[in-house]
Amino acid sequence: MLKKRGTRGDKGSKLEFGLFTLPVILCITIAFYIPFLMTIRYSLTKWNGISKHPKFVGLDNFKQILLGDANFAHAAWFTVKYAILYIVLVNVLAILLALVLDMKLKSSAWLRAAFFIPYILSLVIVGFIWKFIFMQGFESLGHSTGWGIFQLSWLGEEGLAFVSILAVSIWQSIGFYMVIYIAGLQSVPEDLKEAAIVDGAGPIRRFFSIILPMLAPSITISVFMALTNSIKVFDVILSLTGGGPGGTTYSIAYDIYRDTFQNNLYGYGTAKALILFVAVLIITIIQLSIFKRREVEA
Amino acid sequence: MQRSRTGRILLEAGMIVLSLLFLYPLFLAINNSFKSFAEVMTDVIALPKQLSLDNYVYVWKFIDYPRLFLNNTIITVVGLAGIVLISSIAAYKLARTKSKWSSVIYMLCIMPMLIPFQSIMLTVLRLAKDLNLADSTWGLGLLYWGFGAPLAVFIYHGFVKGIPVEIDESAKIDGASGFRLFFSVIFPLLKSVTATIVIIDVMWIWNDFLLPLLMVNGSPSTKTLTLAAYTFVGQYTSDWQYAMTAMVMAVLPSIIVFIFLQKYIVKGVVAGAVKG
Repeated sequence: MLKKRGTRGDKGSKLEFGLFTLPVILCITIAFYIPFLMTIRYSLTKWNGISKHPKFVGLDNFKQILLGDANFAHAAWFTVKYAILYIVLVNVLAILLALVLDMKLKSSAWLRAAFFIPYILSLVIVGFIWKFIFMQGFESLGHSTGWGIFQLSWLGEEGLAFVSILAVSIWQSIGFYMVIYIAGLQSVPEDLKEAAIVDGAGPIRRFFSIILPMLAPSITISVFMALTNSIKVFDVILSLTGGGPGGTTYSIAYDIYRDTFQNNLYGYGTAKALILFVAVLIITIIQLSIFKRREVEA
Repeated sequence: MQRSRTGRILLEAGMIVLSLLFLYPLFLAINNSFKSFAEVMTDVIALPKQLSLDNYVYVWKFIDYPRLFLNNTIITVVGLAGIVLISSIAAYKLARTKSKWSSVIYMLCIMPMLIPFQSIMLTVLRLAKDLNLADSTWGLGLLYWGFGAPLAVFIYHGFVKGIPVEIDESAKIDGASGFRLFFSVIFPLLKSVTATIVIIDVMWIWNDFLLPLLMVNGSPSTKTLTLAAYTFVGQYTSDWQYAMTAMVMAVLPSIIVFIFLQKYIVKGVVAGAVKG
C-alpha cells in the first residue's frame, strides 16, 4: 500500500512538472523555435512567396549576401556606426544627468519624470513627431531665431540624417538609462563620498576614483541594453527617414524588412536574418565573457 | 557656503530650462494638433488662434478610436495575463526541481532572448497564419505569451530561488500541493516581481509596432493605436494637423498612465533591468 502510494507520488510529481512547464514550452516553441527552424530552411531557398514550392539553392543566398550585396554591406556599416555612437553617447549623457539629479534638487522628482516621459512613447510615433519638427518646426524656428542650424536639411542629407536618427533615439531612451544610473548612484555609500571629501579629493577626482568604479554594475547593464537595442534599430528609421535620403539610412533590421516584405525576396531576406542572428550571438558571447572576467577581478 | 548655494540655485534653474526644452517637441505636437492646416503651414511655434477640437473629432471618427483603444486593451490584457500565468508557474517549478531535465528546459525557455525578432518575423507570420492567429486581436494577444515568456521566466526564476523551500514544505504538511500550493502560497509572494513584469510588458505590448504591423494590419477593425497612427500618416503625409492629432491621441493613454503611476513605473523598470 505504502509502496504503491510512493510510486504514484513519483508519477504525480512528474505529471505536475509537466503540467506546470508545458504551457510555457508550447508557447515559446510556437513563438521562437518553430519559426527559427523555418528560417533556417527558407534561408537555403530562392522564393518569392508566390510559387508553391521554394527552390532549394543551398548556400547561394549567403554567398551572395556576404560577397556581393552592397545594400547589406552599407546597412551593416550604418548599424555598427550607429550602435557605437549610440552606446557611448547615451551612457555618457545619462551618467551626467544622473549625477545632477542625484544631488537632491528640489525639482528632481519633476526632472526625473520629464526626462523619462519619451521612453514610454512608441518609437514609431516619436519618429513621426520628430519628422514633423525637422520638416515644419525647424523652418519656423529658423525664421524666428535666424539660426542657421535650423535651416539645414536634417533629414535630406546623408550625414545629417544619420545625426538626426541618433539624436532622436537618444532623446527617446535617455530617461531609461538615467534612471538605471540614479539607482546605481544611490547605492554608493555616503560615508565613502564623505571620506573622499575629507581626504581633499576634488569633484573630478571623486567622480573617477569613487563614483565611476561603484557604478560598474549599472554600466554593465546599460551597455548591454544599449547594445541589444541598437543592433535592432528599426522603428525610428522607418518613421523618421524611411531609409532615405537615397537609401543611406537603412539599418540591417530595416534592410531585412525591406528585402522580405517590400521586395518579396523571402529566401534571401531570411538568409540575411540568420546572419543577423549569428552576429548578435557572437557579440553577446563576447560581451558576456568580457563582463564575467571583469566581475572576477572586482 | 554662500557661493555653493547660488550655484545650486543656478544649476536647478538650468536643469528646469533643460527639461522644458527636452519636452518641447511633445509640446509642439500637442500645440499643432489644435490648429488648422493653414495655421500649421504658416507658423508651427505660434499658439493656436482658437482652441478647436475639430481635428480630434475628425481623427476619432476616421480611425474609430474607441475600437482601437479596445483592441489595444484586449491585446495587452490577454498577452499580459498569459505571460504572468504561464511564466510564473513554470519558473517556480523549474527553480524548485533539481534535475537535468529541469535545467535543460530552463535554458530552452530563456535562450530565445538572444534571437532578434527580425530573424524570425517572416516565419512567425506564416506560422501564425497556419494556426489562425493572424488578423485577430485575440490571436495577437496569444502570440505575446510566447514572446514575453523568456524574460518573464528569467526574472521569476531568479526571484523564486530567493524564497525558502521551507515555505513549500510547511504548506505541503498543511495538505496543499500542486496548483493549490502555487496559487495560494507562492504566487502572492511574487507580487513585487509580478508588478515589475506587468509594467515592462504593458509598455512593450501597448507600444509594439512590428508584430502588430505583420499580424493585424489586414483590416481596419483589428488595428492597434500605433499601427493606425502609422497608416494614417502614410495616407495623409502632408496633412500635418491630422497627423499630429493622431500621434497625440495614440500616446495620450501612455502619458496619463505614466503621470499616475510614475513612481511604480520607474521602480519596476529599474528592477526589471537590473534583474533582466
